[in-house]
Amino acid sequence: MNPVLVLGGGPAGLSAAAELAALGAPVLLVEKAEYLGGNPKRWHYSLLAPDLTPAEEVMGPLLRRVEDTDLIERRLRSTVTRAEPRDRGFRVELSGPESSGWREVSSVILATGFDHFDSRRKYEYGYGRYPALIDFKEFEGMIHDDRLTRPSDGALPKRIAWLLCVGSRDVQVGNPWCCRMGCAVSIKQAVEVRQKHPEIDAYVYYMDIRTYGLWEDLYWKSMNQYGVKFVRGRIGQITQAEGGKRLVATGEDTLLSRPTEVPFDMIVLASGMEPGTGTKDAAQIFGLHVGPEGFLTPKLSDLNPVDSGRPGIFLAGAATGPKAIPDSVTEGMGAALRAYKYARD
Amino acid sequence: MPIVEKSLVEGLQRTETLEVEGIDVSGDWNTFIASRVHTDLDLSIVDWVRGQPQGTTIDRCWQCGTCTAGCCLHTDYGLEEFNPRYFIYLAQLGFEKELARYAQTVWRCVSCNKCVERCPKGVKVEEVVHSIGTYLELSGTAPKSPADRFDEAYTRNLLERGILDEAGLFQAFEAGEGRTLPTREKLRMGLKLLFSGRLHTGPLAKRTRGWGRLRPVLERMLAEDLAGRRRGLPSRRPPTGGP
Repeated sequence: MNPVLVLGGGPAGLSAAAELAALGAPVLLVEKAEYLGGNPKRWHYSLLAPDLTPAEEVMGPLLRRVEDTDLIERRLRSTVTRAEPRDRGFRVELSGPESSGWREVSSVILATGFDHFDSRRKYEYGYGRYPALIDFKEFEGMIHDDRLTRPSDGALPKRIAWLLCVGSRDVQVGNPWCCRMGCAVSIKQAVEVRQKHPEIDAYVYYMDIRTYGLWEDLYWKSMNQYGVKFVRGRIGQITQAEGGKRLVATGEDTLLSRPTEVPFDMIVLASGMEPGTGTKDAAQIFGLHVGPEGFLTPKLSDLNPVDSGRPGIFLAGAATGPKAIPDSVTEGMGAALRAYKYARD
Repeated sequence: MPIVEKSLVEGLQRTETLEVEGIDVSGDWNTFIASRVHTDLDLSIVDWVRGQPQGTTIDRCWQCGTCTAGCCLHTDYGLEEFNPRYFIYLAQLGFEKELARYAQTVWRCVSCNKCVERCPKGVKVEEVVHSIGTYLELSGTAPKSPADRFDEAYTRNLLERGILDEAGLFQAFEAGEGRTLPTREKLRMGLKLLFSGRLHTGPLAKRTRGWGRLRPVLERMLAEDLAGRRRGLPSRRPPTGGP
């Protein structure tokens, strides 16, 4: 049996590869970065919402399952540049440092994931210009290593704000969808900060709070146990104060119907999820349909969310839309099963 | 408990004499606070605004407050009652009475369009707010302000003879407002007008040449313009004037 091509080494791709190996199928795992683990690894995710599990405890076992088997051929710093359908399966051209050239694969799983929104595109916030303005993907690494220092002077911040929906639910940047994670991850970060440093005040500016399903518990806990404060209003602009030492968030507290201009030592932007560059490339190479948002679209999103609609091509994870790690892992399993069945028949 | 700062309470109703079931309760007890409960949800305003070219995006608003946050009047200038998010909210749900309180404020917008630039939902905030103001003006929901009444007196005065009769305008406006300036002041202004050749009142009245033919044309134009702007307004409510 030719190997199953798994494109993308994030949670969905790792899960698919590990599951295929468990079924005894050979796997060709292609990842464009020089490491496996996707965005969680790249940004050093700290604790995971909603259960506050350390990211290592989730990614570690997943990585070990992929690394501890000979059935998975791992190709890092590699991409697929061309693909041709065969009678069964595909012929794909790999490009990478270890091996380039054409390979025969029995089926394909696209787990090409998402990219975090580039917060510089919300120019009125000033990300990239103000050192005290942090993107929440960077903040993950900061709390993970307990480096909670204010970039301006190295002091411990006294008051931090989170801004939800940066680059999400916003037609001005062309991203009208909800990133699903921003609320929970921001609240989780605020909780983590309050756990480690109860003397830091945490404020979350929101339009709506979407800690869906059982994740609501995290939202409640953040208020009841950790005293995180919530302000209903979207920040309109951020300016620097005290020579760049602090930031001033200008907004309307919509419950007060009053303007607020509150100084913060640090402001964290909850940047949304966009279709990854790998996802866009894969759609082109494999001739797949993308939705108006730019994510890959399953043929039957209700009945068979891992099926691209093209024989032998399966989808998993955030390539089809913003998704949490558990959902991505589950989809990786589903796609593995479908791809295995297709390759074996 | 007595209300100490009565002047600060909004909507006070006062009666000098009041009798309830045969008992005189006037005196210290004659002050009542009007109910603050909203009972007037009426969607005709949002229906009308949506139908205007400037108002089509009103339904997109979800009250995040980004417009108000960046609004130069609200935040920078400190005009707190100018709150575009709140205006749109009131219009969307049909809180006409509450909205009528802002009928004058709505027009303070300087059209900097920061709100339009930033609105995550693509609401044309500046246009929608102006459309709401137009509705309040045309429907007569809000009482007319002294400025509105002055505008009307000015137009009437000008239409009369095609040349402004400043003294007559002042008299008419003054009578309408029910207050007068001291005679000495009026005399001083009258003399000024006389010596500068602008006193066209009474026996000194002038008339623009050919005004008899021009006036009906202008009047018809104004009437058509108003009818056009009133199109689609609910007919149940006749425009009201007065303070």
